[in-house]
Amino acid sequence: MQKSRFLPRGRKDRTMVLVDIRETKSVKAADIFLQVRPGKDFELLTILRAMIKDQPISDAEVAETGVSIEALQDLVARMKAAKFGAMFFGMGLSMTRGKHMNSAALLTLAAEMNAFTKFVAMPMRGHGNVTGADVIMRWQTGYPFGISFNRGYPRYNPGEFSTVDVLVRGDTDCVFVIGADPGATMPQPAIDHLARVPTIVLDPHVTHTSRLAKVHITTAPAGISAPGTAYRMDEIPLPLRPALKSSYPTDEEVTRRIKEAIQAKPDWMVEGPQRLETQV
Amino acid sequence: MLRITGGSVYDPANSINGEVRDLYIADGKFVDKESCDSGRVIDATGMIIFPGGVDVHTHVAGGSINFARAMTPEDHRRTQAFIRTKTRRSGLGGMAPTTFATGYLYAGMGYTTVNEAAVPVLSARHTHEELSDIPIVDKSSLVLMANNEIFLDLLEEGETERAKQVIAWYLWAAKAYGIKAVNPGGVAAWKYGDNASQLTEPVSGYKNVTPGNIVAQLAQIIDELGIPHPIHLHCNNLGAPGNVSTTLETMKHLEGRRAHFAHLQYHAYGGDDWGTMRSASVELAEYFNAHPNMTTDAGAVLFGDTVTITADGPWQHLLYKLTGRKWGNLDVENETGCGIVPYTYKPSNLVNAVQWATGLELLLLIDDPWRVFMSTDHPNGACFWRYPEILQLLMSADFRKECMACLPANIKNRITLPEIDREYTLYELATIISAGPARALGLKQKGNLGVGADADVVIYNRNVNIAEMFGHPRYVIKSGEIVIEEGDIRETPDGREYIIKPSFDPGTDDFLQPLFEDRYCMSFENYPVEMERIENPHLQDCKPQQ
Amino acid sequence: MDLKVIDHATCTFCGCVCDDIQLHADDTRIHKAKGACVLGKAWFLNHTTERNCPAALIDGKEATVEEAIQVAADLLYEADMPLVYGMSNTTCEAQRECVAMADLLGGLLDSHTSL
Ligand code: SF4
Ligand SMILES: [Zn+2]
Repeated sequence: MQKSRFLPRGRKDRTMVLVDIRETKSVKAADIFLQVRPGKDFELLTILRAMIKDQPISDAEVAETGVSIEALQDLVARMKAAKFGAMFFGMGLSMTRGKHMNSAALLTLAAEMNAFTKFVAMPMRGHGNVTGADVIMRWQTGYPFGISFNRGYPRYNPGEFSTVDVLVRGDTDCVFVIGADPGATMPQPAIDHLARVPTIVLDPHVTHTSRLAKVHITTAPAGISAPGTAYRMDEIPLPLRPALKSSYPTDEEVTRRIKEAIQAKPDWMVEGPQRLETQV
Repeated sequence: MLRITGGSVYDPANSINGEVRDLYIADGKFVDKESCDSGRVIDATGMIIFPGGVDVHTHVAGGSINFARAMTPEDHRRTQAFIRTKTRRSGLGGMAPTTFATGYLYAGMGYTTVNEAAVPVLSARHTHEELSDIPIVDKSSLVLMANNEIFLDLLEEGETERAKQVIAWYLWAAKAYGIKAVNPGGVAAWKYGDNASQLTEPVSGYKNVTPGNIVAQLAQIIDELGIPHPIHLHCNNLGAPGNVSTTLETMKHLEGRRAHFAHLQYHAYGGDDWGTMRSASVELAEYFNAHPNMTTDAGAVLFGDTVTITADGPWQHLLYKLTGRKWGNLDVENETGCGIVPYTYKPSNLVNAVQWATGLELLLLIDDPWRVFMSTDHPNGACFWRYPEILQLLMSADFRKECMACLPANIKNRITLPEIDREYTLYELATIISAGPARALGLKQKGNLGVGADADVVIYNRNVNIAEMFGHPRYVIKSGEIVIEEGDIRETPDGREYIIKPSFDPGTDDFLQPLFEDRYCMSFENYPVEMERIENPHLQDCKPQQ
Repeated sequence: MDLKVIDHATCTFCGCVCDDIQLHADDTRIHKAKGACVLGKAWFLNHTTERNCPAALIDGKEATVEEAIQVAADLLYEADMPLVYGMSNTTCEAQRECVAMADLLGGLLDSHTSL
């Protein structure tokens, strides 16, 4: 691990605290493990927010979280004594009871810790280049996901335009799937709709989704035999250096050719220039 | 080919002040009459002609503005939407416009060149990807250097020659155009929750490195490398009451050297705290007027909603504490950082009112329009598409009086704006929005309607409503192509990107690699931005000055 | 068989996107992924250049890429509310094409963030 001016002994100068509902393999890598009761993340975070500000908390509230008050006091002391604190969180926090409220509590805790020392928080992103998708959608459309272009410009409404909701409601009549296998991960009613409508899949393998799709196109795997760029979860773009040559085309090439084939058809959008309105 | 006939031309670079001239365009450049014998003719009789606008300081592409986009979905919803056409991508305007919309909006108010003023080398690849998605305008970018750990370490050891090589290497690695220094030493200290506020006090973690010597050394290196644009400086203590002393002290450190002071408004306050904060534009302008080595951009503020983004992390934390609004913070390894906080400037707020007046005062009190440029530090003081409102304030003392009537009564004694009657002429406006910034950037082909220059030109209908006139040009021509006509977007060609390649010792790679591997969590070999990633790159020359 | 070594290769299996992997590869597969974690090793070593999959399938029957592209374009164009979804295990270059295509289609666009 990197040594630095302020942490000259590298890993030895760092403390890793792992919070989870069960003892995972990562416990071995951690210095401290706190086992929180399932579904009590929000409570735990809220108690920490109170404790850093020396606000009163009750024993019953602490007991509910499954973590002892001594362990929490120790954690708070360590957080405040840290030179630079970082919190990483994943789907175990954001996709369980409380959902975005849990993430909000954690982000608020990170912000409030800055009254004492430097603290940051960062989501752990799974699956390869999902960060790239997020970053690109933001600069091209203003929104990170859950977008509709059906008025000719981007609109955003998670819950309305997010995929599971769209599929479960049956609000799409053709699905293009790339770099994902929803046929293996989504709830059954969503998968049923994928099978009902024509689905197009681009993937290096014939996936679960490919099997219920109308069209499957095999493409070269990114970073193995397809060149390009991927974003690390801290939004740093890195070049890919493929080691193999593939006889399959890349995702980029196939998607571009499909786009060009669509462009060659009559455009449904009204033609003509657009007036620049006064902004508000 | 294109001819523009009969218009009143304002071309300060060629000392043309409203005279009726015909302009001839071929192959994207201005040519003489003989070389342009066919093609469309625009009859500009009665109209006003300016060179295309050049924004010397804006934030339109890269990690921080993209973070701001994520933080403001509620704003995207209420702004103008650009609907897709067969040839044009859709987009959204507002406080943090999407890349495509950024191009449409800049071109829509007659701007044809923009300089992205804050790029961390580590994420320069990202910035260039976004820049290539900003249509129409030409672009350049500045890399953040004043808090880079390797550079600061070299200064600590007094290795200035090596530091110069390293800076040149970084510039080329980022495929940038120049160097920006933000809160020198302060952003590095912010990694550990500190700041740097005293120009002559060592930065935390160092014995010899002070903000003062960071700027002086950078300015020296930039001159020795012959970088076309001087050091682009965001001084320490941005936004703080009483910070004028820091700003003046910084100016003294740079006496006799070229320097560009970014968004001066944020660095021009007197008083001791928020309660006593006042504008210090008079003393600052007085010093500035007497020192021709410096240029500046206003960083003017307009009332309304915006989102503030700056590499000045400690300042953003303070702003978050003051406002209690959303706060985003990015730390870019050992190079720099960034903070993002949405903000609303209110005329009823005394501090905001002082800021509003200070920006205008600087524009009016600095007497040489070749040295003070239009900017709002987009999106910090206001969004760039509101520039026409500022032009109206500059051109009309009566309009300023009208606006001042809404300010709090206790502002009296804190600002000088009520005593200033200067009104900008069109010639001066053309200087501060185009000719001046183009010259400061060292872009000789811009901000200039002479033969050989890029045919970037704006044609306005005369209108007593100045904001409307500048907000809705009759024609905007970019590289000889009509991109805006009567307020409609016609074409959205790709712009070019200006970059420089200062020369550096070929051994710099070997020197840097071990230091880099100690400090960064990215492979050295993957760090430099590949040339293929730059869309339409144009290499500008570096001419070392001894 | 020629063994080539690729330094500073980037793993895209998880969000860490490690870029300090050394790959040893011959013409058909990667034999070694030095510096990668268990997951990364499995990711690199599991791919081959052998054509184990058909170029394309239409209704489960083998087809050419050209045919599949045309059918895909027809289906997307004719749909009232097409959805472009996923974009995790792919490159930024492909993602940019996806966003452009969704914009062109006037459809829905969503990433793997919504599961
Ligand atoms: S090597 Fe392991 S940690 Fe690194 S990106 Fe690959 S899977 Fe993730
Ligand atoms: Zn700025």
